[in-house]
Amino acid sequence: MIPEPALFLLLVVLGGWVGIDSTSAGQLMISRPVVAATVGGWMFGDPATGALVGLILEALNLTVLPVGAARYPESGPGALATGAVLASGPAPPSALLAGVLFALSWASVAGVSIRKLREFNVRLMSLPAAGPELPLQLQRRHFAAIGLDYLRGALLVAVALPLLALLLEITYARWALDPRFSHLVLWSAAAAGIAATVRLFGARRFPLFLAGVCGGILSLLLR
Amino acid sequence: MKDIPGRYRRLLLLRSFLVQGSWNYEALIGTGFAFVLLPVLRHLYRDDPDAYHAAVQRHCEVFNSHPYFATLAAGAVARLEAEGAAPEVITRLKVAIRSSLGSLGDQLFWLAWRPMSALLAILLLLLGLPWWLAVCAFLLCYNALHLWMRVWGLRLGLENGMGLGRVVRKAPLNRWAQWMASAGMILAGVCTALVVRQSGPEPTAMAVAALAAAAGAWLGLRVRKAAYTVLLLVWTVGVFLSFIS
Repeated sequence: MIPEPALFLLLVVLGGWVGIDSTSAGQLMISRPVVAATVGGWMFGDPATGALVGLILEALNLTVLPVGAARYPESGPGALATGAVLASGPAPPSALLAGVLFALSWASVAGVSIRKLREFNVRLMSLPAAGPELPLQLQRRHFAAIGLDYLRGALLVAVALPLLALLLEITYARWALDPRFSHLVLWSAAAAGIAATVRLFGARRFPLFLAGVCGGILSLLLR
Repeated sequence: MKDIPGRYRRLLLLRSFLVQGSWNYEALIGTGFAFVLLPVLRHLYRDDPDAYHAAVQRHCEVFNSHPYFATLAAGAVARLEAEGAAPEVITRLKVAIRSSLGSLGDQLFWLAWRPMSALLAILLLLLGLPWWLAVCAFLLCYNALHLWMRVWGLRLGLENGMGLGRVVRKAPLNRWAQWMASAGMILAGVCTALVVRQSGPEPTAMAVAALAAAAGAWLGLRVRKAAYTVLLLVWTVGVFLSFIS
């Protein structure tokens, strides 16, 4: 379940990119769970499993708002690792549940690492007074901060991979619940995450939500 | 007014992608903003190194903005620097626009466009369409507006300088945010119905998932914590039961 060295390295390198995409560089949304987990799964030849993990994690992260100095979880590195590890082996509902749980936990760890980095950046960006050194120091330290963020993302993935593999070993060996129950819990969590966007978009638009629900039911009936 | 050649405008745009690189709790994106302006300042003050260093230090002060709207501010500040505006005038502009650029961007992108685009990807996956289509649709859809906003913002800032506030107020950004929120709400409804169906063919399973959706709508921003607690509980029980069965 732990990938071979070449793939491990590739995941770690990608993890760094996912890490900086969330804030430092680009913000092109490759760090979103639906992208990162799918890419992780694709690297192991099972993008469908990665996409499934990504879908559930994305649903649970729709209401995470990275505004100003707010403290928020960072889901990218965990999603990448989870999509990859689950795609590398069997993924019964119990494994999916364990994987999603791990990704949510790891997002909180990643969030703490962002806070620590930002606190360190206060010291890193204590620049000299106006003078010939200032522009050069500003540029160097700015790039250094991005480099540190990259290392942070890479490290998060490097540590996540074996930890998740261990969690899955425990789950495979010790699961005692009906797989249908695990399946139900996962999709119920996703439903809750999606419906929570009612608060995000504004409760006064609730009739539109109901219209969407009717549209969804209609599409199911027509299938 | 000194000219800002195309090369430096392109550098402003490219560097804007790294504006949050040194985000910290003291200057917020201040140092990143100075980083974005460095090439332009070096060009404008090429005959006066002391003025250049003073300008760089000025722009390292605390500043904040939504990252995609940083080009609006960078363009306006670059124009004022090119016009030789007094430092106090430039500082006043930055103070005046920083909170509005932050809240505009948050409303448009974090509260509307991003969740709407993500729901589109979720919907495509739930409809059984290929994974690559869903991922590409999300990235293309989201980044179309994102990239356009950066380019538009830079052009607007460079053209209007001090008059930026008036022009931004006229732009239909709030209306767009409202439209996106409405579209997002419809997508959320469709996705909720499909996910409830996904929970299982039995009416009991669908009822449980529908109840979970209702709880999610009530919980709002607290849903993630609640879902995590439930998942952790279920996993713990699932593993614990194996020891006693």
